[in-house]
Amino acid sequence: MTDDARADFGCSPTMIHGDMSRRRLLGATAAVGASGLLLPVAARAASKPPTRPTGHMTIGFSQEPTVFNPLMPHIEVDQGVHWNLFSPLWLANEKGELVPQLAAEVPTIANGGISKDGLSWRVKLRPGVKWHDGQPFSASDVKFSFDLLNNPKFRAWSRGGYELMRDIKVESPTEITWTMAKPYAPMISILCWTFMVPEHILGKAADPNTSPFNQAPVGTGAFMWKQRVPGDHITLEANPHYFGTGPYLQEIVFKYIPDLTVMFTQFQTGAIDYIGLQGITADHYAQAKKLKDRTVVVGPAPFVESIMMNLSKPQFKDQVVREALYYGMDNKTIVEQIYYGLPKLTSSYLPTQSWAYNPHVAPHVYDPAKAKSILDAAGWKPGSGGIREKNGVRLSFQNSTTAGNHVREQAQQLLQQNWQDIGVEMKIKNMPPAVIWGDYFNMSHYDTVMVGEDFMTGPDPDVSQFFLSAAIPAKGGAGQNTMEYTNPVVDKLLQEGASTFDHTTRQKDYWKAAELIRHDLPLLAIFQYATIEGTKKNLMGYAPSVYVSTNTWNVNTWYWAT
Amino acid sequence: MIRFLLRRLAQSLLLLWLVSVIGFAVLHLAPGGPLAEFTLIPGMTTAQLKLIAHQMGLDRPLPVQYWEWFRRMLVGNWGRSYRDSQPVLDVIASHLGPTLELMVSSTIIAILLGTWVGVLGAIRRYSVFDYLATVGAMIALSIPTFWFGLVVIYIFSVELAWLPAGNLYTIGNGSFVDYAVHLISPSIVLALVTIAIWSRYLRASMLEVVNQDYIRTARAKGMPERTILFRHTIRNALLPMITIAGLQLPTLLSGALVTETVFTWPGMGRLFLDSIGYRDYPVVMGILMFSAVLVLLGNLIADLLYAAADPRIRLD
Amino acid sequence: MAVAADITPRESPKRRARNRALARFVRHRLALFGLGAIIVLVLLCAVGPYLWPYNDLRIDISHRFAVPFMSAHILGADALGRDLFARLMIAGRVSLTVGFAAMAISTVIGTLVGTVAGYFGGAVGSMLMRFVDAVLCFPSIFLLLALAAFVQPNLFTITLVIAATAWMEVARVVEAQIRSLRERDFALAARVLGASDAHIMFRELLPNAIAPIVVASTLNVARAILLEAYVSFLGYGIQPPTPSWGNMLNNAQEYLATAPWLALLPGLFIILAVTGFNFVGDGLRDALDPRLDIT
Repeated sequence: MTDDARADFGCSPTMIHGDMSRRRLLGATAAVGASGLLLPVAARAASKPPTRPTGHMTIGFSQEPTVFNPLMPHIEVDQGVHWNLFSPLWLANEKGELVPQLAAEVPTIANGGISKDGLSWRVKLRPGVKWHDGQPFSASDVKFSFDLLNNPKFRAWSRGGYELMRDIKVESPTEITWTMAKPYAPMISILCWTFMVPEHILGKAADPNTSPFNQAPVGTGAFMWKQRVPGDHITLEANPHYFGTGPYLQEIVFKYIPDLTVMFTQFQTGAIDYIGLQGITADHYAQAKKLKDRTVVVGPAPFVESIMMNLSKPQFKDQVVREALYYGMDNKTIVEQIYYGLPKLTSSYLPTQSWAYNPHVAPHVYDPAKAKSILDAAGWKPGSGGIREKNGVRLSFQNSTTAGNHVREQAQQLLQQNWQDIGVEMKIKNMPPAVIWGDYFNMSHYDTVMVGEDFMTGPDPDVSQFFLSAAIPAKGGAGQNTMEYTNPVVDKLLQEGASTFDHTTRQKDYWKAAELIRHDLPLLAIFQYATIEGTKKNLMGYAPSVYVSTNTWNVNTWYWAT
Repeated sequence: MIRFLLRRLAQSLLLLWLVSVIGFAVLHLAPGGPLAEFTLIPGMTTAQLKLIAHQMGLDRPLPVQYWEWFRRMLVGNWGRSYRDSQPVLDVIASHLGPTLELMVSSTIIAILLGTWVGVLGAIRRYSVFDYLATVGAMIALSIPTFWFGLVVIYIFSVELAWLPAGNLYTIGNGSFVDYAVHLISPSIVLALVTIAIWSRYLRASMLEVVNQDYIRTARAKGMPERTILFRHTIRNALLPMITIAGLQLPTLLSGALVTETVFTWPGMGRLFLDSIGYRDYPVVMGILMFSAVLVLLGNLIADLLYAAADPRIRLD
Repeated sequence: MAVAADITPRESPKRRARNRALARFVRHRLALFGLGAIIVLVLLCAVGPYLWPYNDLRIDISHRFAVPFMSAHILGADALGRDLFARLMIAGRVSLTVGFAAMAISTVIGTLVGTVAGYFGGAVGSMLMRFVDAVLCFPSIFLLLALAAFVQPNLFTITLVIAATAWMEVARVVEAQIRSLRERDFALAARVLGASDAHIMFRELLPNAIAPIVVASTLNVARAILLEAYVSFLGYGIQPPTPSWGNMLNNAQEYLATAPWLALLPGLFIILAVTGFNFVGDGLRDALDPRLDIT
């Protein structure tokens, strides 16, 4: 999932444009794995959750959740609400372990849920689960949800993975089976955030795209729909019949606060209890840490900030140029100064927490002298205005990102100077999100973009959609390889990795692919984001995770310490 | 008079139609589109994007799309928002209340204070008060509203904790006092610029009137200064202000945009901004038509009032 | 009465009238102060960067957030350690150009349209004013978005785009004034005396409508300077690293509590320019006003 997008049209630099923004953008996140992930042990031990749902909590989001049918096209902030209204079959917790939700157990080859060839799946469901309206949940709801995703008349949020499902059969109210057209390992992760919808309501809708359900959702989650005030907030209340842990809060409110500076002031005054998506900006971190009665947490996020290059442009065809650009970047200063040392430097595209992350990939080195010498050696000689050129191609290009993101613009300007120092000209041309992330990005019209992207497929480290040569949208491919990167060896490795369930083989393939991509450098990775979020000190249960896009995945376990 | 109104009505309808055509064309031809954010959904394919575009009717020729929209609009079906698939009229209606609340309170503040500052500035021209009012107005005009808002929040909400840092009301508390307290900062901040504009125009207008013959005549006749001021000067000075006031009506929609953002106020300005950012065509078109009606109405009322108040003016 | 004197073709040399206006203007100390402020600002922005040792673009991260008066960066340094004074001077080039050019364009167009429409009335007037209404129907953000989407952003086009959203208010204000003025005795008298339409419009009526025009222009200077930053913020205007007072102000928002001078200084420059222009405008108005006589 991507993130970026900060948009804004207001006068405020920190305003985030509601809809388009994804975290892709905000450079506000910080060091993964840094200190203080969790509350002090003492604080946690001292209190116990209440016996019945008590109190209410206000969550601040800088974008407005507007889509409540979880199977329709939505963005992260919508998912933040879905986690509380609906349930998936299983989910990945903050440690990356799969925890059954609507399923009774997570299917594996070992427990026989998935056949050895990876083609036949059998999922046993948790008995006795009820929808918010009291109707029983059963396997036919699961089948209905999968069928809906594949219904050509339905505006499905994604078909990736689902389109491989065949012969979906309800074996009993608590058992469902299907076969896959080919073995596809990321499927288990995709199902981590595939939320089940009720057949008894949506099945009767004349047109599921415009059903009233979409604004009055009924799920199986820990909280039930109460009210939405458009443009302002959404209120959910505790589901007394929830099948899992909790909920311990009587009411939760998702409050839309379009500007990050304003959201921070509301966190300061206590108007919001938890500052969620997109959190506290790096510029406010020092101030936030000093606040009384607040816990500020620098948590890991799956997004990696990088310069993506469009390899079909003549300037970037030569690997030497890309390597020289990488040597020319002062990434350390970006992270330590502009982002206050909160995010973590990286030279690869996976979050370090992922089991497929290759720690041996060559780290980034800032060495402008080396950059100049390899460009000289490759025949890129300074021409007019000191800009290098070769065979009539000048090393001059545009760099774009979502307009109005001041912190990222600072990094952009630093890079501009870094590259100017090695005889490369970069011009900044930032655009509103609806423009840049449309055809301009998707159809590879850009030279370079600066973006924070989550390259994984949900919690799964499959990065095929970004690096497979068949995933180039400008060439009719399905995916997001807008860099137009092609490497047959990487293709083979990624395809093999996705079609086997064997962990060791997958890891080997993905490590190798990471090394090849590090050599080819279709993108110049800078850092892995960290989220800076905070709660009131006596709010318990918050656990940031790289495996979700919004940290409201476990609000059912949150409570007020007494 | 009736003929004038009928003619003006006909012209207005024609204008509205033109505005709708131009607005529709510009909106759809401008770069970017509502699918941009779907691009970023993992696993999204170009085929899938095409399908969504087809389902939303975005792949049809522009004139066809316009005709569809126009035909439905005439019968009151303004389409559904792309963001939350609610009917456009419902979406607008749900944001209208907060905006009206804010506009009414800030307009009252602005007109009262603006008139006072403008009149006093004119009758005590080049006094200390006049200088302070002038410089104050210039500061109000030179600093973005966003800054005022932030500073007010920092001082009165974060540091002093006297006022809430924005929001329409405290969720879970719907009392009148709660609403009123939340209204204080945003309406004052929003009023600032209007006070500056209003007082500058009024001061200039007053200075014109003070030197008119009839004022001199009145004074020559020995009329008391107070009477001259209230009965003649202010009354006549307010005449040109009718036009200015008429121009303020449409700011009902876009004027409060920044204030609404800084105070987290779910009004029309925010809605418009969010909808433009998302390229939520049906909502943007709805707001556009709505604001066009307000502009035409505001200007028509201003013209009528002006003619009624100044017998020298003919309506034509 | 001065008004009466205005209508008759004057025997007395025009020079004397002009001198009188100049004398009035000079006696207006505030106007002189305003003019002085603007001249200083313009000179500073035009020549200053050549004399100042620091470059407005050179990043020196080790001087991040340097405090004013504490180092060689007299006015401090921004979030990337760039010299703030150098940036303020370069920024002034953008902001002053946009502010004054957009103001001039919108005032001229608005005044012209308003005067013609108000004077002739009838079909011509109503056509013009309905056109004004039509443009007003589009909220300015919409206009900005639309225009900016179709033109290549640079200083010139941004100025035009901003002017295009600002002239309508002037037109409506002027039109209402002229419509009222044209029925006054002196205008009727001029007509009876056979003065040409152009003469009546621009020599007789317009000078009497100068007050609201001056106010509108002042408002438009401030508006244009701030709008420039707004347009750029939306991604349709001046791109980083080019500074303008407006975008420096915007970029300083996160540092309200930690580095307030980053906002105060550009804010001060904008206030100075706008206030200066306002006083010049007031002075001009007094100087040109046939009735006002300050003694």
